[in-house]
Amino acid sequence: MQLNHAQRELTVKIVYYGPGLSGKTTNLQMVHQRTSPEVRGRLLTVETHDDRTLFFDLLPVFFSTANGFKVKVKLFTVPGQVIHNATRRIVLQGADAVAFIADSRRAAGQENNAYWKNLVENMKENNLDPAQVPIIIQYNKRDLPDTKTDAEIEETRKKGKEPVVGAIAIRGIGVLETLYTVLQSAYRSLEARAHLAKTIGLTEKEFLSQVFANMDITGTELEKLLPPRPAGART
Amino acid sequence: MRQGESVLQRRISLGEMLDTDSFTEVVKGFVELYRVGIKVFDEKGAKLADIKIGNGDFCGYVFSFPEGRRRCTATVGRVKDGPLALSHGARLPVLEPDLVPQAKGMLTVPCFTGLRYLVVPILWEGDTMGRVVFGPFMPDDLKDFPPRTLTEISEGFDVTNARPLVDKVRLAPEGTIARVMVHFGQLLQTMLFGGQKMFLTSQLHIEATLDSNRELEERNKKLEEANNHLKELDRLKSAFLATVSHELRTPLTSIIGYSEMLAEGLAGPLNGEQVDYVRTIMEKGETLLKLISSILDISQIEAGKVRLNFEPMDALELINGSLSSLRPQVQKKGVALEAKMPAKMPLVTGDRDRLRQVIVNLLTNAVKFTPRGGRVAVTLTEIQQQPDLNALGYRILVEDSGVGIPADQFDKIFNSFYQVDSSSTREYGGAGLGLAIVKSFVEGHGGVVRVASEIGHGSRFTLVLPVAPSSLQQVLITPPVTSVGPADDRF
Repeated sequence: MQLNHAQRELTVKIVYYGPGLSGKTTNLQMVHQRTSPEVRGRLLTVETHDDRTLFFDLLPVFFSTANGFKVKVKLFTVPGQVIHNATRRIVLQGADAVAFIADSRRAAGQENNAYWKNLVENMKENNLDPAQVPIIIQYNKRDLPDTKTDAEIEETRKKGKEPVVGAIAIRGIGVLETLYTVLQSAYRSLEARAHLAKTIGLTEKEFLSQVFANMDITGTELEKLLPPRPAGART
Repeated sequence: MRQGESVLQRRISLGEMLDTDSFTEVVKGFVELYRVGIKVFDEKGAKLADIKIGNGDFCGYVFSFPEGRRRCTATVGRVKDGPLALSHGARLPVLEPDLVPQAKGMLTVPCFTGLRYLVVPILWEGDTMGRVVFGPFMPDDLKDFPPRTLTEISEGFDVTNARPLVDKVRLAPEGTIARVMVHFGQLLQTMLFGGQKMFLTSQLHIEATLDSNRELEERNKKLEEANNHLKELDRLKSAFLATVSHELRTPLTSIIGYSEMLAEGLAGPLNGEQVDYVRTIMEKGETLLKLISSILDISQIEAGKVRLNFEPMDALELINGSLSSLRPQVQKKGVALEAKMPAKMPLVTGDRDRLRQVIVNLLTNAVKFTPRGGRVAVTLTEIQQQPDLNALGYRILVEDSGVGIPADQFDKIFNSFYQVDSSSTREYGGAGLGLAIVKSFVEGHGGVVRVASEIGHGSRFTLVLPVAPSSLQQVLITPPVTSVGPADDRF
């Protein structure tokens, strides 16, 4: 988090982490598609010739609070290929929360574990305390054959404290739910540390509803969680 | 632990996102096409581009009057540093309705001369990064030129002089200039996006490379520490071996000595069986003593405690002496022992005892690995130029018709404790130290030792020794460890 009282600006950093080809960039592309252009920047991606992320993807989303504080949410992805570990470490610097994108296929279990360990190591290298920087897990690719059953995923969830969200990112399913969950975790952790509600008057409710106010949440679980948008708001 | 803040953690400025030269080219092209000047400032007021067109002569004329200069400076200050808000003389531009959403934040700032400026903020991810100033242009809705605000600057202001000058300024409807400006804004956004991408990725590339380097250095340091630790352990091992060997040898000498006295009947006569037993104790004791001696040798070599004593010596005598000490074993084993030597040879320089140990070790091995009925030969060559040493020298060849050594083991056999067959049920005894000692002593003389072999057909060890070691002083020899170190610094 970067909080600049002089410029009345708050920047929140979310990093999408996980093995190569688990769908990190796809998540960002879907968020980008569903967000109205006035409140987001362009999606910055740098790919290699075979469409693999080379450095990172970056999607900024911004809004102003009722108190006139400018809030920027920066969504980053890391490159998944093993050789880019230094880049992963750099992108992770200063993260406020991490969305770990796991491939739900059984065959991917080992890779998921390896990148989980890599995440923990790189957080340590960056002085990020897992007690203060929440991680949430997205089980992506729920539609593919050989995927873990809901019961198996429930088992995995019970093994740790991280919230778990299922997704088929390529079809936009679970993407905004993941974003919601990771932003909520980020807010709660920042609130505990920096008391955002008291210092800048930003409540969890305002934070989340402002971020999603200009996103098309039709057909997602968020319709139940967020207040109905005012008439005339674009979808 | 990685250090330093990444470029991703800070706000980047307009200047970092735009390549100044190519941006200036684009602005210039725009200015020439639309004939309106463009200035671009970042959020701190620093100028990124400033291309003027048409207004120079007119503005210069106005500027020549003190009051004109004052008012001009105020107007330029307003467009450059004034608030991006509808205040301080700024008003909303006159726009065609379709342009309204795209011209968000655009301001019209009139000049006291009747000319006009348009100012638009550069928005990037919700931040104002700077501003673009268009103008001045001559609005087509200006009814009376010159306005009083211009003529009043001086009684000397001459309208007939000013008219042709102001005609060089672009005349256009405000809405048209606004449309050009929107177009420029879109182009600028594209350039910023490309520039941001380029800037971030190149910076990140540098950061990632530096960080990988840092990681490698940390790893190297750990490896070096581990290596030093291992070296220390190795030194301790050698010291331990030296102590233990010495402590073993002392009582063993007594065992052999007392057995010998018993066998000689010094303590009274023994019967035949008793003599046999005592002689067996003596023989086994001596085998054990040899083994302990070679362990002591290698441990002293490894501890760097062995010094060679160079003196003139006769190589023929060296070979003959070695052969005679091998004779009993050769007869017992039943192999033929041949020697080829020149009839006469000048004295050479070396450590006689150590070289003798080398040849005895090689011959002992040859006899050990050659079956009954086989052949062992030793050859001494004349003194001649040795390409291996780039010096005068001689060779000693020890050949056998024994079991041979696999080619992939040629390097390893010179390592301490290495044996080609290291299984517990192996046929040939020994501690695997003989060749390690050979290599150390030969290299201590500045010589080389080589092996050639064919499985089942025998082996040939070749020693190439210089006539005189390059250092005629005593040399301290080092362990026969093949170390791969970096080459010495050249500069």
